[in-house]
Amino acid sequence: MNADAQLIEHMMNPKNYGDMPENDATGIGKNPQNGEKVAIYLKVEKQTDPLITDISFQAIGCTTTIVAGSIITTEAKGIHFSRAEELVSTTLGMLDNLPPEDAACSEMVALALKASIDTYAERQKDANFPMISYIIKTDCTPKEEEA
Amino acid sequence: MKTLFKELHEAWLATQFTGFMSQTQSRQTLYEFSNILFKHLTWLENDFIKNKITYNYNIKQVPIRVTHLSSMLNNIIQRITSIESKLDSCGDGDITFRMKSDLEYMKAVLAQLPEEEVAEAFDINRAYPNVELSEEARDALTIFLFEESYKEYELIMVYNYSKANSNDAFLNRIYQILIDESFFHLRSFGQMMADMGILGVPRSLMEEIYKFEDLEQFLKDGIQEEIGAKEECKQLAAAVSDSSEHFASFFTFINNQENYHIALMEEALAHINNK
Repeated sequence: MNADAQLIEHMMNPKNYGDMPENDATGIGKNPQNGEKVAIYLKVEKQTDPLITDISFQAIGCTTTIVAGSIITTEAKGIHFSRAEELVSTTLGMLDNLPPEDAACSEMVALALKASIDTYAERQKDANFPMISYIIKTDCTPKEEEA
Repeated sequence: MKTLFKELHEAWLATQFTGFMSQTQSRQTLYEFSNILFKHLTWLENDFIKNKITYNYNIKQVPIRVTHLSSMLNNIIQRITSIESKLDSCGDGDITFRMKSDLEYMKAVLAQLPEEEVAEAFDINRAYPNVELSEEARDALTIFLFEESYKEYELIMVYNYSKANSNDAFLNRIYQILIDESFFHLRSFGQMMADMGILGVPRSLMEEIYKFEDLEQFLKDGIQEEIGAKEECKQLAAAVSDSSEHFASFFTFINNQENYHIALMEEALAHINNK
């Protein structure tokens, strides 16, 4: 990851980091390769197309994961689920352009957002539906280490 | 008392990181006061354990970006005043009496510390005084400092939690050494972050990081992480060796210190396996 000024701002002061005990839904994105994970917590306003009124995240992961979490949750705050799903698709669609270790971190955050949205949707049908976790597909081993 | 515990944790970090901003003798005072606040935290933690109350290390982010030291000193004084107002939530009068005395003294001293301009600790210039770094070395050092400052904070809290919840004197001796070592590293890295204009307080910890169930696995993973950290230090020492002999020897020194941490964790591993 290049450490330019904007990214460093996210490292120094990650946006939306922390737990949210009174959340409406939580979702997890996991990397089983190294045990890293991201949890995203949502506060949602019930509408035909639900609105994310507040969002936060926590992570067991590297600095790249924190930067990705800070950027993606900032984008997701105040938007409707339909737009948030587009945000997830766009992020997942860009992974091929990133180095594997950066791609794995972004995928983990995007999947945590998807998991939180899906958990919320399922809970509208069944209030006891368990929290959803998704596992990333990207191998985060840097290319030079694969040989 | 949980709010008191949380506010104390946040005040400890605010004080410690304000120490990194200071370029004067105030730094030492702030380091000592942060030690006192950390000690208070362990007192309250022991009271939770004694009374079988569940607790965690969840905290809010601690904002520290200021232009003048006095802004942070006032912030710490406000934090301490808020802590004082909640001392009665701890049922142990001996603890709160000692805390009250410390806190009163600290507020009086903090109010007298001289003003300093500290904006450079946050200006992202990423230039290190008297050292010329290539762009690659600067990026590597930046990422390293963010990763490792978080890691050292994490280790302090993990070993502190383990120590607080263990009655094994052998293991507790090792935990305490590892806490002290991590404090030393956190302070080295925090000062470097301030010098490079990238100072920030590490993020809060997820509960499962310190409330682990398998100590053996934790130690094995910890040894692997230390080996990884050694490798990073070696690479950083090589990356900066052309531009700074001082930097290169610092990272070699940190690299060699990791050997001691590994030896301690291996000792702990052998101890639990022989039980």
